[in-house]
Amino acid sequence: MPDTAMLLKVLRVLLEYGMLFWLLMFVGKISRWIFLDMKEKLQEQKPPELQSDEAVLEVLGRDKGEEGLVKRRFAFSEQITVGRGEDNDVVIPESFVSHHHAVLFRRGSQYVIEDLGSRNHTYVNDQLLTGKAYIKPGDTIRIGLVTMRFER
Amino acid sequence: MERSAVQGERSIGFARAGSFLLMPLGILLAGLGVLCLKGYAIGAAGKVLEPAVLPYLLVCLAEALILQFLLWRKKYDFILLPLVLMLCSVGLVEIARLKPELMVPQLRWLCVAQAVLLILLRFWKQIREMLSYPYLLGLTCVVVLGLPMLFGTEIGGSRNWLVFGPFSLQPSEFGKILILFFLAAYLSDHRHVLSLPSMRLGPLCLPPMRFIAPLVCIWGAAVLMFVVERDLGSALLFFGMAVLMTYMATGSKTYVFLALLFISLAAGVSYLAFGHVRVRFDIWLNPWQDPNGMAYQVVQSLFSFGTGGVWGTGFGFGRPDFIPEVHTDFIYAAIGEEWGLIGSLSVLLCYVLLALRGISIALQCEEDRELMLAAGCSMLLLLQAFVIIAGVTKFMPLTGITLPFVSYGGSSLVSGFMELGLLLALSQGTQERGTSRG
Repeated sequence: MPDTAMLLKVLRVLLEYGMLFWLLMFVGKISRWIFLDMKEKLQEQKPPELQSDEAVLEVLGRDKGEEGLVKRRFAFSEQITVGRGEDNDVVIPESFVSHHHAVLFRRGSQYVIEDLGSRNHTYVNDQLLTGKAYIKPGDTIRIGLVTMRFER
Repeated sequence: MERSAVQGERSIGFARAGSFLLMPLGILLAGLGVLCLKGYAIGAAGKVLEPAVLPYLLVCLAEALILQFLLWRKKYDFILLPLVLMLCSVGLVEIARLKPELMVPQLRWLCVAQAVLLILLRFWKQIREMLSYPYLLGLTCVVVLGLPMLFGTEIGGSRNWLVFGPFSLQPSEFGKILILFFLAAYLSDHRHVLSLPSMRLGPLCLPPMRFIAPLVCIWGAAVLMFVVERDLGSALLFFGMAVLMTYMATGSKTYVFLALLFISLAAGVSYLAFGHVRVRFDIWLNPWQDPNGMAYQVVQSLFSFGTGGVWGTGFGFGRPDFIPEVHTDFIYAAIGEEWGLIGSLSVLLCYVLLALRGISIALQCEEDRELMLAAGCSMLLLLQAFVIIAGVTKFMPLTGITLPFVSYGGSSLVSGFMELGLLLALSQGTQERGTSRG
């Protein structure tokens, strides 16, 4: 039966090429889907970034010690670090303050304060800060003997 | 036009989501059909497929259908599963063609893997709690990796197997998920500390020592295990993971530079100290000095790619069986020969799309540690595929690991599905928020 054998051979070759094209089609379809979905998500995300992205940390005052810091305002947009070390943005030269005490940074349209494992802790509105938390305009931050207010 | 099409797709019916599954099924059926026809032509149709394959195949299909339905119903991502199943079915037909007797075990492992995926999705809330204990995770990882040193058996030159009666496991496959959890939890907790400079050495800013020490210790212990167990591929994978995730978390190039410095030192030392490392490296530099001995595997693999050309020799008509271990580490060479450049590039693209989708899931996560976990997961899959494909094509010295989802291997399949499960579980929150926002 040469005809059946021939037919089977043709079928086999068709299936082999079919597999390749099937694979190609799959990759094409999935990649189109993924890129369209990504484009849509990007369009969704754009609007909320337009508001002002500047925040201010104002030092309110402290009970004693040197007066250099009082009433100073620190403006920042992405991130600001607080601590005793000279490489911080806000340097508080006090032994109660750790070298790298806390950091404030932006996430999306909000700001987050994070305690960097300091020995004497950070207090937000006189409450102990554990780990990190979102911070609202008007919140007060106490580090060592210094109190600061966060504003936008 | 395009835009409206996309919006329609957001709330698609199950028919559309389920239709993605037809693609992998098509490859599987076409491949098995070709094998049957080939067997019929030489008069041995019964030998090609054992009857025991059928029930397992049906169970796998049913599980895949249930999973896809659940994913669609509970608003998970439903693209990842068809992508992964595509890779699985490419692997399955290649295994059925190369080692028909391994088809049943591979299908059985696929059933187990899909069940594991289902369990992981069901208990994700509890599993996520593990992220709060980074040090325990790290220690567990080191212990898991150390198990084969005590109770291990040597298979294929690496002492990294645990044998439990009828089946054997490769703990490094599961250790890699644990280290992923550890890195995600640790790095997201200490992200800001690590990106603060404290010591300056010329252009380099070193982070505070006490924050980087746990990272280096746990990860160094892991790599040391691999050196002792002679599992170079996993060592490279773990190293790459740590570097990539640290870079993703901190965005500081200092770590990348230090890591590259360290790896070149370590590579130099192990080249001088270990015979098997030297052999691998020499083979990579010049496989033609010993094509029938040490370099036989790599040379045959190169021949395979050359024979395949653009369109391949046709499924079932190459001779990839000259390559030793072709059904596990070297399965990509078999694909390259029989499916040609087109097929092998498509498989490569599948991995890239998988990683891309994973990253876009990661960017939608709101919590740091979830973001790191999803990004790490997708990079891990991509990195593993890269390391073995680069090894097989002699782009890099060969280090034996499995090609995720495609190679024969139970542990690799199950751990691959666990990674897929993590990505899927993390995608749920984002999809929910997406719809509530919109």
